Amino acid sequence: MKVLVAVKRVIDYNVKVRVKADNTGVDLTNVKMAMNPFCEIAVEEAVRLKEKGVATEIVVVSIGPKTSQEQIRTALALGADRGIQIETDEEVQSLDAAKLLKAVVDKEQPQLVILGKQSIDSDNNQTGQMLAALAGMGQGTFASEVVVDGDKVNVTREVDGGLVTVGLKLPAVVTTDLRLNEPRYASLPNIMKAKKKPLESVSPADLGVTLSPRLTTLKVEEPPKRAGGIKVGSVSELVEKLKNEAKVI
Amino acid sequence: MTIHAPEQLIEELKKLVDEGKVRTDADSLANFGKDWTKIYEPKPLAIVFPKTTEQVQAIVAFANEHKLGLVPSGGRTGLSAGAVASQGEIVVSFDYMNQILDFNAADRTVRCQAGVVTQQLQDFAEENGLYYPVDFASAGSSQLGGNLSTNAGGIKVIKYGMSRDWVAGLTVVTGKGDVLELNKDLEKNNTGYDLRHLFIGAEGTLGFITEATMKLTRKPDNLTVLVLGLNDITNTMDVLRTFQQSMDLTAYEFFSHQAMQHVIAHGGTSAPFDADAPYYALLEFEATSEQKMDQALELFEKCVEEGWVVDGVVSQSETQLNSLWRLREGISESIAPHTPYKNDISVVVSKVPAFLTEIDAVVREHYPDFEIIWFGHIGDGNLHLNILKPAALAKEDFFKQCEKVNKWVFEIVERHRGSISAEHGVGLVKKDYLEYTRSPVEVAYLKGIKQVFDPNNVMNPGKIFDL
Repeated sequence: MKVLVAVKRVIDYNVKVRVKADNTGVDLTNVKMAMNPFCEIAVEEAVRLKEKGVATEIVVVSIGPKTSQEQIRTALALGADRGIQIETDEEVQSLDAAKLLKAVVDKEQPQLVILGKQSIDSDNNQTGQMLAALAGMGQGTFASEVVVDGDKVNVTREVDGGLVTVGLKLPAVVTTDLRLNEPRYASLPNIMKAKKKPLESVSPADLGVTLSPRLTTLKVEEPPKRAGGIKVGSVSELVEKLKNEAKVI
Repeated sequence: MTIHAPEQLIEELKKLVDEGKVRTDADSLANFGKDWTKIYEPKPLAIVFPKTTEQVQAIVAFANEHKLGLVPSGGRTGLSAGAVASQGEIVVSFDYMNQILDFNAADRTVRCQAGVVTQQLQDFAEENGLYYPVDFASAGSSQLGGNLSTNAGGIKVIKYGMSRDWVAGLTVVTGKGDVLELNKDLEKNNTGYDLRHLFIGAEGTLGFITEATMKLTRKPDNLTVLVLGLNDITNTMDVLRTFQQSMDLTAYEFFSHQAMQHVIAHGGTSAPFDADAPYYALLEFEATSEQKMDQALELFEKCVEEGWVVDGVVSQSETQLNSLWRLREGISESIAPHTPYKNDISVVVSKVPAFLTEIDAVVREHYPDFEIIWFGHIGDGNLHLNILKPAALAKEDFFKQCEKVNKWVFEIVERHRGSISAEHGVGLVKKDYLEYTRSPVEVAYLKGIKQVFDPNNVMNPGKIFDL
């Protein structure tokens, strides 16, 4: 079974994000970039499926500037077999990402597509769902467990109040939630091997897709600073403030 | 000298500082009277919280007048009981002297009060596009005054040196009650004895540091961590030599498999790879370019070919960098419930493998049921030896047996011309062993210096040595 995994290059989760002075976006100069954490989980799940003998080939795809090859190389070091980079310096919104991935799906014909449920930069949580719709596949989103069973995949989803398991006919799209697995580290021997794994670069035009962003960013600003706390002198003052100022009791 | 009742002394003390800044409640006495060592019963007379150098000066004058001992107190994360008050001393806490006073971008210096927390200084540097490189597991609570008084080292010493190397200037209150401005923040100042360096590492026995001007440096670029599994302890040095021949490391740490097992059991992190190794090395460097990373890979390959290294991983993000560091930095915390006996010893780097093997053999021979946990800043010759208390053994019996271990360990230290305290200081815990590292003649000179600055022996009395 062939598995397609999409990974995105984003600002490192641990970096303190700074807004550009002109409020047009987030400052990316000299900022550490890394693979989106949910995409790391997607790669790990694919590698585990391969280790179990369920998956036979893992193809990893990333959309973005040339530097996003670094994240593809990371995925290859973690166990993916080959990479496809869709190179563009333009802004890629969810629908365009889904269209580009749909074109790759048409070409590669994977049985399972695994994506992160969302990227930590734009936080849209749309691409997986849009891709499933465009490709006419079933979708199992927010997965906390993925079990392939013959020509079906059972996806356990984390929902409010508990877990729901959906059975999907393959081919299908799965998006990963945090508790699906704990991604491994890239081992040094595998990083060296990954350098020799094939990585093909294509443009959106090669895939027959014209990027057409539909949303315009008006303004990006930091959340308001939290006001400092106050000290109260007595229990009665505390109760008074909780009642009349905070209005919580 | 008038002898006052304790209550009277406390009333007098209250006049020297702001209102409410003297505490004598049982919780405060127990809390501020001790550090991370659990050996001594805290028994201070009172805790005083000055806000200015002048208030510290007044407290020192008061202590001289009434012949009272003063114990300086910072984050109390020390491991040698340097900040323990067990003899009815007054604890001088720097908790309210926690202001960053001035920043000079051109000099790349920052003026801090002694109670500034290490992490506060690190964060301040970062906000200003710079870096304060002294770092260790307790950076979130340790204070600058304590760092300087113990000349704290930590995990970046191999590249950046000890706390001492980052001090441009100091304000101190001597034991005689004089305020000295040392070195005036100058880079070059060859005007005789540099008293700054006497107060650094003096554990508050000569005077109290109240303010310090600290140097900052440029931020490291794309720090990357490798964790390597080693076949044998001697391989730590082979790997270090191989990497250092062609690149600068910002850290080189090692830990044993047992140490890592404790961290993993404690939670929050996982093993770096499946292959088991008796020892692990953690290397950190600036991966400034792809070439640099390729170079690291080539060096790794060489270490594998030589049979020194079984496997290795590399951090691919800051999150992974932190998780891999956690394997090393989480050790102390994870073994704390086992009441560990701790030793912090050093030798020159070339002697590390022989030294470690010798100590390991001695402890194993005499105490086969003790679990030994090794880790440390092996890149600068510093080893942390930890022996865990078997659950069945009473604490007192365990520490009594450990005293015997001390003697054997320190004899080996002496033979290898090493130090009985690499970075934790002497305090109360190590003072009986000082002469394994310092000759009697040298100790006599130290006492002479103490006499000059603190003739009445009021400043942290009984620490480092007894007069």
